[in-house]
Amino acid sequence: MRCNVVVYKKIVKMIPVEKRGTLSDKLLNYLLKSKKEAKLPISMAYCFLSQSQIGTFKDEVGLAVLLEATALLEPKKTTEFLEQEMQLAEVAKAIKKAVA
Amino acid sequence: MVKFGVEFVPKEAFWKTVYYAIQSEKRGFDNLWITDHYNNRNVYVTLTATAMYTKKIILGPGVTNPFLINPIMTTQSLASLDELAPGRVVLGMGAGDTTTLASTGVEAKKRLSAVVDAIAIFKAMLEGNSVNYKGNVFRVTGTRFNFKPRGQIPVYIGAQGPKMLATAGKIGDGVLINASHPKDMNYAVGQIKKGVNEAGKNMSDVDVTAYTSFSVHKKPEKASKAASPVVAFIVAGSPNVILERHGLDLVKADTIRGALKNGDFGTAFSSVTPDMIEAFSIAGTPDMCNQKITRLLKSGITQFVVGSPIGPNVRKSIDLISEQVIPHFKD
Repeated sequence: MRCNVVVYKKIVKMIPVEKRGTLSDKLLNYLLKSKKEAKLPISMAYCFLSQSQIGTFKDEVGLAVLLEATALLEPKKTTEFLEQEMQLAEVAKAIKKAVA
Repeated sequence: MVKFGVEFVPKEAFWKTVYYAIQSEKRGFDNLWITDHYNNRNVYVTLTATAMYTKKIILGPGVTNPFLINPIMTTQSLASLDELAPGRVVLGMGAGDTTTLASTGVEAKKRLSAVVDAIAIFKAMLEGNSVNYKGNVFRVTGTRFNFKPRGQIPVYIGAQGPKMLATAGKIGDGVLINASHPKDMNYAVGQIKKGVNEAGKNMSDVDVTAYTSFSVHKKPEKASKAASPVVAFIVAGSPNVILERHGLDLVKADTIRGALKNGDFGTAFSSVTPDMIEAFSIAGTPDMCNQKITRLLKSGITQFVVGSPIGPNVRKSIDLISEQVIPHFKD
């Protein structure tokens, strides 16, 4: 399945490569522990699984998929982590805009 | 060499279970078992989705029962799944959890006979011919599929009692033993051997599987805490003879039973003692788990299943098992 994550790919480009691993790990936790799982559109769920199967969540596409899925289910946690822990306020702002 | 399996309870959205399955396959697990309870997501829908996103892991229900799901439907489901994941499918069949079955209004009588009948029907129908079978519980007359199944599918029997264990040794390709302690495992393997001998088979013909309650974390107290809820249910469901075998406090066990019955999970889980965790789970750091698995392997098990809860964080625990447990036994 081809994932259409154009907006989020642009957002990922704003994230320094050295921070992507930590971010990916935290986002996976948010996603897998989220109780709002029904909020994830089925197309996004397939996209998430395809990426799990073929790649990682640390590269550009993988992180874009993960960011979009997590922003849908846990927008507050995602943006707060980006702002407070990762010091990526601009990324958080872009996600808030994308989710709105 | 011992195989490693993993059990998932499909109580969350399908994509989470499938994610863990993909991760498990990538991380070196050999087998994947999906539990079958009516109150969770459907086992075959979950297995189908899982089969489509994995390539080599062996998968099957762990375990289904013949009371709620008629053996013909079980055979149909697995024969179909075997087309989707050729050669990767196994059946796990047991007599079912009496509490869960009771809530469905299904009477689970003649439990041993029901399992024997179900497996006989399963094997016969997979031959692709018209089946006539008259058992103590199930009977079929001229039953056949309108398609040709790919062939036989290995049968694992979930067993705890002596008769079921011996029967599993006699007619099963594998046995799923719900136990985590050498005392229980040694007893189980002894019973299985009786059935194996009766059938003129060798123990090497049977995949003796320890289906454990497992919890791993770098901090042992976190691993134990995660195991407590599962252990509470195991204690509540265990006859006193089993609790006495492990020298466990029967009064505490009664407290847990009562609390669970009243839905007071806080009391139930906090009443679980370290002795109970030791008896009914494999919990601790990777090194602690490795020591306990080593003890179990001496009983003669050939597959080790990490079952619920796996750890406080399933994803991280799978990674930890892959990095520090499986290599300890496979490298």
